[in-house]
Amino acid sequence: MKKKLLAVLLAGTMVCSMAACGKKSGADAGSSKEDSGETSSMSIVLRGGVYADVIKECLPAFEEEHNVTIDVQELSEDDLHTSVALNATSSEGAYDLCMVDGSWMAEFTDSGVLANLSDLGYELDDDIIEATTSICYVDDNVYLAPYYGNVTVLMLNKANVEEAGYTADTIESMDDIVDICKKAKDSGKLGFLYRGDSQNNLVVDFLPILLSYGGWVVDENNQPTVNTEEFTEAMNCYMELVGTGEAQVKDDLVASVDSGAATMGIGWPGWYTPTEDSAADYIALSGKASADSEANNANVYGIWCLGIPENSQNKELAAELLTYLMDKDVQLGTVESGGVPCRYSSLQNEEVLAKYPQYEVVCQALESGVYRPVMAEWTEFYTTLGTEMDNIINGAKTVEQGLADAQAELEEIMAQ
Amino acid sequence: MMKKKKKNNADAQIKRFSIGMISPAILVLAVMTAYPLIFTLVYSFSDYNLLKAMKDGVQSIGLKNYTDLLTDSYFQQSVWNTVKFTVLTVVLEMLVGFGMALFVNTLRRGQKAMRTLLLLPYLLPTVTVAMIWRMMFSPNYGIVNQAMEALNLPVYNWFSDIHTAFGMLVLIDVWQCAPFVFLLLYAALQSVPQSQYEAARIDGAGPVKILFFVTIPNIKKSLALCALLRTIDSFRLFDKVNLLTGGGPANSTSTITQYLYNYGIQSFDFGFGSAGAIVMTVIVLILSSFYIRRAIK
Repeated sequence: MKKKLLAVLLAGTMVCSMAACGKKSGADAGSSKEDSGETSSMSIVLRGGVYADVIKECLPAFEEEHNVTIDVQELSEDDLHTSVALNATSSEGAYDLCMVDGSWMAEFTDSGVLANLSDLGYELDDDIIEATTSICYVDDNVYLAPYYGNVTVLMLNKANVEEAGYTADTIESMDDIVDICKKAKDSGKLGFLYRGDSQNNLVVDFLPILLSYGGWVVDENNQPTVNTEEFTEAMNCYMELVGTGEAQVKDDLVASVDSGAATMGIGWPGWYTPTEDSAADYIALSGKASADSEANNANVYGIWCLGIPENSQNKELAAELLTYLMDKDVQLGTVESGGVPCRYSSLQNEEVLAKYPQYEVVCQALESGVYRPVMAEWTEFYTTLGTEMDNIINGAKTVEQGLADAQAELEEIMAQ
Repeated sequence: MMKKKKKNNADAQIKRFSIGMISPAILVLAVMTAYPLIFTLVYSFSDYNLLKAMKDGVQSIGLKNYTDLLTDSYFQQSVWNTVKFTVLTVVLEMLVGFGMALFVNTLRRGQKAMRTLLLLPYLLPTVTVAMIWRMMFSPNYGIVNQAMEALNLPVYNWFSDIHTAFGMLVLIDVWQCAPFVFLLLYAALQSVPQSQYEAARIDGAGPVKILFFVTIPNIKKSLALCALLRTIDSFRLFDKVNLLTGGGPANSTSTITQYLYNYGIQSFDFGFGSAGAIVMTVIVLILSSFYIRRAIK
């Protein structure tokens, strides 16, 4: 009897303890904290590197003003993509603000991952370069804000280019680029470097060249167009370039071009800060295949945007943080630390240009840039295309065979 | 009658005690192993996509994931790469690890120091190992290419060259995991009775005969266990491939897990990924069935 009584008592104690440990719902908890003047907390998830660094340095002022502590998670591109998606499956999200690559927009908005920023009172202003906002809207409502103006540029070693009889200003077309790389190879250096370590990098590094030839990976109905004349010409040009160099990972690519071991490669402004004395520089691609051909928009965006997850527990405060981070003065302040705002007020600021003349190139590239296709299947799309391109580059398939196979596989993906 | 009743009570008590003792383990096994495995099996027959499921739900699609997977030439290549990698690394690791164990076992002094030093690669996290090797073989500042250049030898872009990338992964895995084999076999060698060696020597057996007729028969269970553990581990190779080659160049280093990551996980196509995981589990079970059968006997 005593034993039974003890067991009931213990069970009762356990139930009471568990009930006491149960937490209030997020909204209630938040409001009670606000009422009592306690410090609240937020969690934001960002792409690691300079993209997160420039945001982190802006946070203390916001934290102090709003009596909030902000926990920052920095992730690699793949991990960020997965984390934001996994977070969306919970009813109560762990993140209040997230960085989103422009190419994820379609799949995230299709599935309701992102909150409607217009409903939260946020609108994009006219100072933001218009072309960079093209994917930020769904039915006139804002879902993303373009924060870090990453756009593909041609990174080059100045001495190697001069040795080939050119300067950064006289590179007019893809023909010139091929010519410089061939001359560099003949003189015992590496010509063109590309990133062959993932399908995404393979595709992204090739897209500016494809655009220079007037091609694109999909048509206006998002149907694949990889087995076209333009694509084949661009691929043949790419094969010529690849033949003058080799595949290297990002850090090696930057080091090779900077040291002069290699001559050029497609890069991003966040990778390297050129100065007057630096050995390397970058330019925006002209978008011309040859000297007498038409100029196309050939700069591909890799803009890191800011969004608020639909299941954020602090949407209003997150919207305030977003507004603060997108403020033109706050963004101008990040330039010193490597920030690349998508704003005229930053990129055309005289003081900024006097110190960082490369922002003129970045501004031009951002004005005429192209986003990767906005479609929910983009991940499968680039995986398949990158795999076939890898086969072509490494000689496992001919250009014609590889592109025909890619077209067939991509059509199947888009038909599903 | 009383004795029989007491015995029955005691038996029931022992049974209850046994069940009580074993139930936590069964519960953990059920939650941590059986539940995810059953879920993976169920998902493998569905079109479950993490993001699309939020809007459209999950539909059963029968065997479509399996037929798509098994007819995909890139999956077939990944299976072949994985089998090739597993066979090569297990054989090499067993040979190197066994050689190391025999060597250390014969040392009269410094066994402990040598044992610790040889174990170091196995203690390192795989990410660190991958970064160390990437730096050493970097085409820019890598010590290996610089040394080869100094010796007028041809240099390679080791992880991006279709002729060297696969071999590099095998080399790194052998470097990191041979110490594991060494550790297990060294422990097994310690338990071989010295009297057998003495008897063999008195009978005039040389070192080779002693190795094949005394040492190996005494540690064959440990050898089999080592081979099994390394087979399972090698078959699941992912981190080194993902960090160093991403499956390239031209799929030459793509393993089953890397394929599933590229085509299932990255695009959140978990139904397809689950089918791949089930196929992989079946292959590992087949490969290890020989040992499991012996263990059950």
